[in-house]
Amino acid sequence: MKSWRTGLNASPMTTIPRILRDEEHHRFLVPRRAFTDPAVLEREYGAIFDRCWLYLGHASELPEPGSFLTRKVARRPILFTRDRNGAFHALLNSCPHRGTQVCRERRGKSGAFTCMYHGWTFASDGHLMALPGSAAYPPDFKSDPQKQMVHVPRLERFGDFFFINYSRDGEDLATYLGDSGDYLKLASEHSQSGMVVVGGTQEYAIRGNWKLLAENSFDGYHAASTHSTYLDYLKNANGALGVSPLAGRGINLNKGHAVIEYSAPWGRPIAQWVPLWGDVGRTEIDSIYAQLKSRLGDDRADRLAHKNRNMVIFPNLVLNDIMAITIRTFFPIASDYVEVNAWALAPREESEWLRQYRLFNFTEFLGPGGFATPDDVEAIEKCQQGYAVGDAAPYNDISKGMARDHEAAFDDEMQMRAFWIEWDRRVAASEL
Amino acid sequence: MDAQLLLRLRIEDFLFEESDLLDQWRLDEWLALFTEDAHYYVPPTDLRGDDADPNTSLFYICDDRNRMNERVIRLKKATAHSEWPRSKTRHLVSNVRVSHEGAIVRARASFAIWRSKDMTSDVFVGHYLYDLVADDAVFKIRKKTCVLDMEALRPHARISIIL
Repeated sequence: MKSWRTGLNASPMTTIPRILRDEEHHRFLVPRRAFTDPAVLEREYGAIFDRCWLYLGHASELPEPGSFLTRKVARRPILFTRDRNGAFHALLNSCPHRGTQVCRERRGKSGAFTCMYHGWTFASDGHLMALPGSAAYPPDFKSDPQKQMVHVPRLERFGDFFFINYSRDGEDLATYLGDSGDYLKLASEHSQSGMVVVGGTQEYAIRGNWKLLAENSFDGYHAASTHSTYLDYLKNANGALGVSPLAGRGINLNKGHAVIEYSAPWGRPIAQWVPLWGDVGRTEIDSIYAQLKSRLGDDRADRLAHKNRNMVIFPNLVLNDIMAITIRTFFPIASDYVEVNAWALAPREESEWLRQYRLFNFTEFLGPGGFATPDDVEAIEKCQQGYAVGDAAPYNDISKGMARDHEAAFDDEMQMRAFWIEWDRRVAASEL
Repeated sequence: MDAQLLLRLRIEDFLFEESDLLDQWRLDEWLALFTEDAHYYVPPTDLRGDDADPNTSLFYICDDRNRMNERVIRLKKATAHSEWPRSKTRHLVSNVRVSHEGAIVRARASFAIWRSKDMTSDVFVGHYLYDLVADDAVFKIRKKTCVLDMEALRPHARISIIL
């Protein structure tokens, strides 16, 4: 099927650039202006971030009635709470009176939130409980719907993963997640008693476009070149290197979601032992694996324990189940600046010993102090700087493996194409 | 001279020497300032860094001595892309306080570190917590914790230098 598009018509400064996709000739080009043009960013907020399901948080972050946290999601300040009955609420963190951010703490436990400006007090479900000087208002003022904190239009959960949607209409969360749902479920099956977000958040920023980070998060092709020092480290580090080769496949989960699933030589605290962990570790890992098999069956247990997964749920949720599990989400502030939040997810019942290894593993590769992420950041920032050459060199190539998309390798670029096809569809649809 | 004051001066001198080695990228010599059972930590910014536990919370850096060695090996390679070409760094260390706890000397100090590269300068601000041991009248670091007094690692993400 030939489908060359002519996106760059009339005025290249005002139209949204489009991908060039030619399945027959195995060509796939991404316009670099998609990374640099502020008009594209505004379009993305309208067409993508204000319409897609966005990750908000994990149930374990609000462990009991009254727990709350504040978080920015797609530029808006959100107050995520549990009321006294334990129900979850996502509120726009802005006082209905004068717009002040009502909750100014990052997390805590409270049944009521008092605005610092004029003292209006709201319950965890956002309803106005009390306001000073109420005698100066009509009797029904307090129950006026306009005087309540506003709920995010939609809040839904998939297992313990909570998502919000700023649009009232559109498909429900489960439909939106489609085939990626089973991978979220798989990540939850590491534990019998439930997964928890471990305390401590990695909060950083990259001077690059957000889509560069989406691509990078499941790019199997760059590992050998960008991360050679990490692979050297595994070889040096007295038994951190196991026997499994780097090999596997890319899987299109449709709707812009995709995953690479592959074996790798590093240790996985869910049942892939490496010599560094010693005999005690081997015994523990064997016992975890036996439990996995009895709970999930041989095939799923094998996959869960021995395969790594880097998944991007469109547009910006990364769930990487590698030498540890990270949940990562990120939002563009400008075309060339993205804020990133990353958490570690772990089985609740995990032993102290294994939790320690999990966190040690996480930081060896992941995050601003790891042996790999800084070099990803370098790559992303150097791409962004490279795009300054402008329209004389207008396209990125992400065609690797196009001739075999039905059996994509983990280090092909099929998963990125899946992301870009959905990106293109959504920004183009918004132009009509 | 007052023994406490003398100890503080000696520790200050030691910390200034450490900073200087880092700013000159003399990383092998920097590593030699640590004991064989040393740890190097950078806690996350959303927990109380003075008390956070790397065994139960996600840190930015939790290195044992082996991984500190590997960090130095990595940083000396041209393929440590984030630090090649190498950034310019400047560690400012001040407000040094010391106390004794048995054989361990505990030191607290404030730091401001600039990392400059590609026409951009980024700052890390925070305080150090050191556990030091005296080894033949020479101090060695058993534990170095770098608590960032920042809300997040923004606008940059580069603890690719040693703090």
